[in-house]
Amino acid sequence: MSQKKSFLKIFQYSETSILLEFKQEPKLDLLNELIAFKKILNSNLCGIKQITLSYKSLLLQFSNPLKKDQNLKEEILKLYLSFDSSKSKIKSKHWNIPVCYESKYASDLTVLSKHLKLSHHQLIELHTKPIYQIYFIGFLPGFLYLLGLDVKLYHPRKKSPTLKVCKGAVGIGGRQTGIYPDQSPGGWNIIGTSPTSVFDPDLKQPCFAKSGDTLSFYSISETTFKKIRKNRIPPNFRKITL
Amino acid sequence: MIEILNPGWHTSIQDQGRMGLQEYGIPYSGAMDMNSFNWANKLLNNSLNAALLEMTIKGPKLKFHAETVIVFTGAQMDIKHNGNKASLYNPIFIKKNDLLECGACKEGCRTYMSVLGGLQTERILSSRSQCNYVTKSGHINKKRILQIKKESFELNKGVALKSPLPSYNTKEIEVFKGPEFDLLESVTQLKIATQTFTISHLNNRMAYQLEEKIINKLPEIWTTSVLPGTVQLTPNGTLIVLMRDAQVTGGYPRILQLSNHAVNILAQKSTRDMLHFKIKSFD
Repeated sequence: MSQKKSFLKIFQYSETSILLEFKQEPKLDLLNELIAFKKILNSNLCGIKQITLSYKSLLLQFSNPLKKDQNLKEEILKLYLSFDSSKSKIKSKHWNIPVCYESKYASDLTVLSKHLKLSHHQLIELHTKPIYQIYFIGFLPGFLYLLGLDVKLYHPRKKSPTLKVCKGAVGIGGRQTGIYPDQSPGGWNIIGTSPTSVFDPDLKQPCFAKSGDTLSFYSISETTFKKIRKNRIPPNFRKITL
Repeated sequence: MIEILNPGWHTSIQDQGRMGLQEYGIPYSGAMDMNSFNWANKLLNNSLNAALLEMTIKGPKLKFHAETVIVFTGAQMDIKHNGNKASLYNPIFIKKNDLLECGACKEGCRTYMSVLGGLQTERILSSRSQCNYVTKSGHINKKRILQIKKESFELNKGVALKSPLPSYNTKEIEVFKGPEFDLLESVTQLKIATQTFTISHLNNRMAYQLEEKIINKLPEIWTTSVLPGTVQLTPNGTLIVLMRDAQVTGGYPRILQLSNHAVNILAQKSTRDMLHFKIKSFD
């Protein structure tokens, strides 16, 4: 146990599930720890059906109702204490996502840049510069929770949500940025639209990315936007090992 | 083949849902009242995951283009088979060109109709359950044709025929404390444990909102995993009970978790129905 352990809370969540909560702020170190520990749990615990990951927790779902005498909590704690996240290597991918920031595809860009006292160009630069960490997927099928938005772009959600945000819309809400996988109601400020399909239920892996991958946005013209959407060009990526 | 002449109020195809795909943000889905779902398939000796029709509030009008056997379970409903009254929890033998007219749900709001061999509709991400954002539509539409299998059927004697007619009148909803329950003030905890709540008109396959408000002084939480049956407390004090088609993550405090049984009971309740929570512990 060479590295510092974050405090872990183990809580029975339902008849068939256990929640692990990590008393730590969400950041890259914690995400790597969550991904590595999820792997350990999957290969060491009996009867696990699924483990889902979110900002600072893992939810373990079992096939059968949990019994009091199973001592699962102790077993999990034991696994956690003997696990060293610094030893685990995480294979992930970096995705390049095209976004058209032209006004036709960016209904709130002008208002937002005024609020933030930035030019369109500066705002786009601040949005395309960071490498975002894909933390987990939730809210809607294929909706990626990203870490890494520049502080200068933090802006509250709209007071009342827009009823129809377009498929592919890229928005800023609070400290977060993200892509709407499908047309839906939404309260984020829309600064562009991506022609890339982030969710396709006809594929075996319906979303291209997973927890632990990274992503960056790059600016494209309307012509490129139309070409990518028409030809359904998937996003390009490179492999990385952390 | 089954032809939908009229889809009813909200009828959808359901099986056990999409367990295992939540890392992509995909809802669990599946029949709202799993107990009635299981009985419907058991009575026809279908496989456990066979797809059927879930009818809400008012059932559909159907025309059969092939011979088959069907069974209704769940909420009581007036069913007319070629104009003659038919009953729930009994196999109904269907001939080609038979008409089936389903009325309104009584004592409960969801009735299930299983078909011998299960509905053979398209599988999306390993399930036939209809769900918005995953399948093309979240419900069946008029004129839709549902494919069925040709199978032989022998009347199932014994256990299956003794299936109980369930009562949905109970107001008691069995719950466990959620991860954020202990953060509530004790007065608020007591109120939640003793008060009667009313189901608002905002109730569907995704979630049930309750009318009575609870004082919420809890801090915001980081978006986290939720399950069908999780009770969230919103900043304005509304309690939201998540159901089968709910999103798989949420940012509101999770103050209670319904038992599996309670989710099935709640699934049979609708607007203006009353309930109270009975807090249990796992031990």
